[in-house]
Amino acid sequence: MIRLLQLLLKNGGFVTLVFVELFCFVIIVQYNTKQADIWANTADIYGGRVLEKRQNVVDYFSLADRVDSLNRALDSVQARLANVRQMQVSIRDTAFLFSYDTIIGTDSVRRKTIRPEYEFVTARVISNSISSANNWLIINRGSDDLVGPHMAVVSPNGIVGITRHIGKHFSIAMSVLHRQTRISASLKKQNTFGSLVWEGGDPEVMTLKDISKHFEDKIKPGDPVVTSGYSVMFPKDISVGTVMGKATPDPENPHFLVVKVKLSQEMSDIHEVAVVRNLYSEEIDSLKQMIKQ
Amino acid sequence: MNSSLIPSIWRFLGLVAVQTLLLKQMGAAVDSIYFNVLLYPLFVLFLPMELSAPIAVLLGFAVGMAVDLPYGTPGVHASAGAFSAFAKPIVIAVVGPKGGFTSKELIFSPHHVSWQTFLQGSSLFFFLHLFWYFSVDAFTFVYFSSIIFKTVAALFLTMIFVVLYAAMFNPKR
Repeated sequence: MIRLLQLLLKNGGFVTLVFVELFCFVIIVQYNTKQADIWANTADIYGGRVLEKRQNVVDYFSLADRVDSLNRALDSVQARLANVRQMQVSIRDTAFLFSYDTIIGTDSVRRKTIRPEYEFVTARVISNSISSANNWLIINRGSDDLVGPHMAVVSPNGIVGITRHIGKHFSIAMSVLHRQTRISASLKKQNTFGSLVWEGGDPEVMTLKDISKHFEDKIKPGDPVVTSGYSVMFPKDISVGTVMGKATPDPENPHFLVVKVKLSQEMSDIHEVAVVRNLYSEEIDSLKQMIKQ
Repeated sequence: MNSSLIPSIWRFLGLVAVQTLLLKQMGAAVDSIYFNVLLYPLFVLFLPMELSAPIAVLLGFAVGMAVDLPYGTPGVHASAGAFSAFAKPIVIAVVGPKGGFTSKELIFSPHHVSWQTFLQGSSLFFFLHLFWYFSVDAFTFVYFSSIIFKTVAALFLTMIFVVLYAAMFNPKR
């Protein structure tokens, strides 16, 4: 206290003035109605600006969380879209076409009979290869996120791979650029289907095999190739790529044609993907067991 | 206690009494926002020139507070009093002779400095005090022109009383 007084005396009037004026300021806004009102208003205005700035900073640092929640929203939208497609197929038999929302909102009986078939789990690719004979991806979702083996991995641009080894938080997926890949895909215009395989080499090109011979003249370069839906893993109509060149007879099996397909998803540039969970895969698998016996 | 401060103590009591008993009633009678006479800063102006600045600032605050309490405006006059006490040495340096006053001039009164210097110095001093007072009173510079008008009007009225006071008493110390 003594030292403070000495400091005040030594450093002259200005320091004293600052202290006295601060003290006056407090008294003024404390005991004078008019000045207190003005101060409260000013403090509100500037306080509001400060709060807004603070919110901006907070928003910036919570971007990761927001991306995560957006991804979750994307999951549900994708699932809904896939289910709408699915439902359009199932409702076509009854000659009616309802939108998903109408059904959900109005008809509980129909909602019970037409259940969603797929769920989507968004994931980030944390490792990827394209140059080996058999390529793999690692994604940041595992059994905790309900990811299981033999689930399709897709990106917004097309097919990516199939999950194989599942950890608690991460999974390894077989890239489509793998010798064992065999995906049922169809030529959309010709309405026929074949098996999609990778023969190695060019990571942008796959081969569609087992196409019926009589489509030979109808297949043209640029024709779209999509998933056929004849599989438990891949939903129908997910983009695969486009036809390259002409269809040629399969050297191994001359009764069928093969055609080169340029992938729509560039395999060297994959970041955000979704794992497709078929909600009925167990049931379908157990049914398949019956025809094997 | 420094004996040179004793006349200042009397001035303190006298000026606060005049301000709060006489001039406050005059202001209430005229009832115009442009009628303001603030004579009490004369106490600050007539403080000994050799008084250290921090003490002067605290005394300026004290006389302002003594006026504030009857006026019902705690802190407003006190703020202006402290500010003018801080500004006083600067004002004197501006209007005073080159190289400053000698130690013979005890206070800034017409007895020690010329009437011309006193009028220049006191005008500037009261202008600063009144401007600060009306700024703190308004508490915002939104009505800056109103602050300036009030300051000029009050300066004109106040200077009449300042000249009367200086002519009547013309204090030596």
